[in-house]
Amino acid sequence: MTPPPSMIRFENVNKWYGDYHALDDIDAHIAKGEVVVVCGPSGSGKSTLIRTVNRLEEIQKGKIYFDGQDVHAPSLDLNKFRSHVGFVFQSFNLFPHLSVAENIMLAPTLVLKQSKTQAKDEAARLLARVGLAPKADAYPGQLSGGQQQRVAIARALAMNPPAMLFDEPTSALDPEMVGEVLQVMKSLARDGMTMMCVTHEMGFAREVADRVWFMDQGRIVETGDPESFFSNPQTDRAQKFLSDLRSH
Amino acid sequence: MGDIIAILREHGPLLLVGQYPNGPLGGLAITFVLSVLGVALALPLGIALALARISPFRWAYWPATAVVYLMRGVPLIMLIFWVYFFLPALLGRPVSGFSTMLVTLVIYQAAYLAEIVRAGIESLPKGQTEAARAVGLSYMQTMRKVVLPQALYNMVPSMLSQFVSTIKETSLGYVISVHELTFAANQINSTLLTKPFEVFAILAGIYFVLCFSLTQLARHLERRVSRRRAGQTVGVTPQALATPIPATAE
Amino acid sequence: MNPIDFSVLLRGDYPRMIAQGLATMLELTLVAWVLAMFLGTLIALARMTGNRLAQGGAAVWVEYHQNVPMLVQIFLWYFGIAALLPAGMQVWINRNSGEFIFATVAISLAMSAYVSEDIRGGIRSIPKTQLEAARALGLSYFQSFRRVVLPQALRIALPTLVNHTVLLFKGTALAMTIGVAELTYATREIETQTFKTVEIYLFTTIVYLALSLVIMAAGSVAERRWAVPGR
Repeated sequence: MTPPPSMIRFENVNKWYGDYHALDDIDAHIAKGEVVVVCGPSGSGKSTLIRTVNRLEEIQKGKIYFDGQDVHAPSLDLNKFRSHVGFVFQSFNLFPHLSVAENIMLAPTLVLKQSKTQAKDEAARLLARVGLAPKADAYPGQLSGGQQQRVAIARALAMNPPAMLFDEPTSALDPEMVGEVLQVMKSLARDGMTMMCVTHEMGFAREVADRVWFMDQGRIVETGDPESFFSNPQTDRAQKFLSDLRSH
Repeated sequence: MGDIIAILREHGPLLLVGQYPNGPLGGLAITFVLSVLGVALALPLGIALALARISPFRWAYWPATAVVYLMRGVPLIMLIFWVYFFLPALLGRPVSGFSTMLVTLVIYQAAYLAEIVRAGIESLPKGQTEAARAVGLSYMQTMRKVVLPQALYNMVPSMLSQFVSTIKETSLGYVISVHELTFAANQINSTLLTKPFEVFAILAGIYFVLCFSLTQLARHLERRVSRRRAGQTVGVTPQALATPIPATAE
Repeated sequence: MNPIDFSVLLRGDYPRMIAQGLATMLELTLVAWVLAMFLGTLIALARMTGNRLAQGGAAVWVEYHQNVPMLVQIFLWYFGIAALLPAGMQVWINRNSGEFIFATVAISLAMSAYVSEDIRGGIRSIPKTQLEAARALGLSYFQSFRRVVLPQALRIALPTLVNHTVLLFKGTALAMTIGVAELTYATREIETQTFKTVEIYLFTTIVYLALSLVIMAAGSVAERRWAVPGR
């Protein structure tokens, strides 16, 4: 039986900051519909890796494929490509001068050329999906962190991407708000969305991740299904990381 | 270019020191004296105005606020005419252009400096005043020994900017025949008649060199003060601190 | 000392002179302001392109105009640059209120430097992550700048822009030195003719003060109207 097509593929990816080897020979792939959690100590390169997919970070060596498309092809329309990649930032990055609905509608109207009414209806639907239907006319400054991040997820979903990238989506949130965001992410996973998540939330990984990549010093040191990884890490570095995490 | 050098060679001294030693001091020297004296005398007045603006006493607050708004809302040239008219009437004897200009600059700059000092005082953490009063210092002692020294240090770059503004403002002395740099340049132009561009280009050039150097110094000091300040201030945005109100463009 | 008598200003030619002075002052302010805003924006954008020539030129422009007194700039234009223009142009300019043209040019160029720095400061205060988030959604650089960065930057720059507008307005008084018949010029004329210095000076001072306050008030209204809710 042929394996499911890969949605995201890293081939021999390398990145340097000057002399510092930030990403070291990354070879990995994420299949369609798969949920992969990337974890590791700070400085391990996990945020850098996820940001190379939509070229917020550039690589010096290697190839990256997203939905079959070579991300570095010279003929690539970068803006159009990025509109296909759903990205959620650690610090939400909502546009404070636009209302929640306008935040969500901005890219669909400008890039996908949707009509305003169409975009507005979509925005309402997505807000309902993330549990914030009454907040369409509120402004980001009036929302809590958890609410803002859910709006950010809706904003990314509005572009109908085939896959969603999450760069530490709950790290900037107060603990009591982490749950509401994870709930949205879990529902996305159960609906079959391909997801690559950089996160420390191990509970989330155990519940919905298909695989865990453990990174350290720019390399993917260990991979495996969540259950095996968490109960029985193979490498010393993974063991140390997990014990440090649990001791908090 | 050769014209410019010729003009500088022949009329340079007039631009720099006026007719001295064969007459009164003038040119750049007078510009400099006016600016330095102006700011030196304006500073104490500005501090007084700033203190009045933050005081709870209505008899101090309202007059000071009125003065500040007046200076911000009225063109300097109009103020010069006021002083030119009123000062002799007030003193009962004729007043030289230089003195008129000096008095005008002092009042005008005092208002702008007052706002700078006020911003400096208000940007200090309240804890400073509280700690001083807690050990028993009076209001005046707190101001003199704790608040003002820090506020003024933080505001040195802004005050230097005001000094640059003052230098530019001295050019308006031309209008009442003060023998400063712009007046000297106009004299030269009236003599030569055929080289107005060169003369005024030289004039602009001299101001530029002087003001630009001082502005660069102010920027350098701003960087040093910012580094020191980073550990001090609480909850004030850098933008609000750096430019409380802009230096005058005149 | 003679008692103050404002009625003098209502006699003879004086009302017309005052009205003319007011009109010229307002005209000068408006035209110079529009030009300064337009040029200032261009220069701010020039400093943001990667082009070294554009950036250097813009920097020189800003430094020159901020470090040379406005009066000297007016003189340089009216006496200096005017003399360099071809004879035909000089004749045309002289017939068509050259003083007004040169005063407008000098004032607008001078203030454009301040405007560009205000806008630049506003843009720099917007975190890079805003631009990043917009690009990540697929917006082009131009779209991201226009829809996300600039609206926020202008809101931040608004207070200093208002302050500089007041400075521009006050600067129009300097045009009197080259014979532009604006309000201060008319004031001096009337003073010379009537010797009623206090009356005419008071009138003019009140006008300047009132209009400055109007500009500042308009700025406050604009600030409040465009304020981002929730901050």
